[in-house]
Amino acid sequence: MQTKLVEVFQIGSEKGGIFDLPKEAWPAPGQYMPCQRALGDSEPLIPQVFQVIGEEGHLNVAPIPEDWQPGDILTIGTPQGHGFTLPPDMRHLALLPYQVSPGRILCLMREALNMGAAVSLFSDAVPPVEIMNRLPAAVEVSPISSLLENLDWPDFLAADLERGDLPAFSTLFEQVDLKFKGQVLVRTAMPCRGVGDCGVCAVRTIKGWQLACADGPVFPIKDVLHVAQ
Amino acid sequence: MWLNENAPIHKRDLVLSKPFVNSAGILGFAPDPHKMPFVSNLGAFITHPISRKPRQPASNRACLPYPGGFLLHTGLPNPGISRSISRYKRAWAGAPLPVIVHLLVEDPESLAEMIRKLEGLENVMAVELGLPPDCDSEALRTFMQASVGELPVIPCLSPEQIPVLRETLLELSPAAVHLVEPRGVLPNAEGNLLTGRLYGPGTFPTMLHASRELLDDGFQLIVNGGISSKLQADTFLNAGAIALGLGSTLWHLKPEFLV
Repeated sequence: MQTKLVEVFQIGSEKGGIFDLPKEAWPAPGQYMPCQRALGDSEPLIPQVFQVIGEEGHLNVAPIPEDWQPGDILTIGTPQGHGFTLPPDMRHLALLPYQVSPGRILCLMREALNMGAAVSLFSDAVPPVEIMNRLPAAVEVSPISSLLENLDWPDFLAADLERGDLPAFSTLFEQVDLKFKGQVLVRTAMPCRGVGDCGVCAVRTIKGWQLACADGPVFPIKDVLHVAQ
Repeated sequence: MWLNENAPIHKRDLVLSKPFVNSAGILGFAPDPHKMPFVSNLGAFITHPISRKPRQPASNRACLPYPGGFLLHTGLPNPGISRSISRYKRAWAGAPLPVIVHLLVEDPESLAEMIRKLEGLENVMAVELGLPPDCDSEALRTFMQASVGELPVIPCLSPEQIPVLRETLLELSPAAVHLVEPRGVLPNAEGNLLTGRLYGPGTFPTMLHASRELLDDGFQLIVNGGISSKLQADTFLNAGAIALGLGSTLWHLKPEFLV
């Protein structure tokens, strides 16, 4: 399938873009979509983009390569992997971008608000201004300590972090019996995009080794917490 | 003419219906036409490297890009030979193309054991030997002797191994030789040095240069070469390679020159 890169923007430290795609072709929050320029692209590794917060009604994705420009025609693959699934009875959603930009996790914000749920973003870093400008007043922003002091509040936790930070993330919930469900988007290189089981994206879970490209990149939180990597 | 009972009998025929294979480590342990629509354009499927015992992913596994390519360090995770066979033999038997099983060579005894287990498996046409980086002539001789059996044996070497192993390969005259990606070293984000295989178009000139010597020697050569275009593929084939091992180009959305 082909699409056009309509616009580019900066989101934190990443370059993002707007793809001209019908909604039914969009990746769900947490899923990834492989894409490459249709012509003249000799890059050995093809980018994989995730949906990020941006202009409403459009597919906003990141990260895209620095040399991509508006007007570029792209070949895209179908969305891959497991994305976030919000439980229908959820009333309090906690979003936790751990040492990463909140751009991806905030894609869940609109769906949760439409469900009538309260949404809070927990982050020790102040989100970039281009993200803050897109947050409705209904979304509270608080430090992570605020979540840890009120673990009875959320009934669902959506987290986003680098694979290497899983041990540190686990220590936040040490000796805590999680009463809420949750999912974690594990960021890691996925060079083969699920075609070759190359093993680079292997994540240790309670079920053994799993591949982020095929079994993730969103995992149930209880599958990855307190599991030695 | 009487047969010399002391001379080892080597199966020498390796016939590929198409001049493309995948590099080991690129497409997993068994072909999946659903994930790999291009698989019908390959002459054989080469498995991920398989060792005698299971291997876990390396704790410092990484894909490190650099201009023109990337370094892959995975630790070569695999379920071990016994579990690989039990898991994948049906998929191998039912595959739309023949399968070449790539074996991680550690010692002659375990190599012989792995090859015995593979003999007689339906649709397994050959084995590849992933030689250790420090393999010397004597070790190669021992490994090839341990590999003697029903299946053609294809030793894999990277360009830096050619000066060390070339003369012995000429004596042993294997069914084919597979020239695989060079090894390299890059620092990761933490500044630690990682060793791994190098993939991508940046390796093409090195692989083309390395292949010329082996082709001049008359080896039946399969060569991996950072190939990403028809021109590059034709360059190797016109030089005499019997097949090309495709790497990261198979991870692209449309490896066009295979269509």
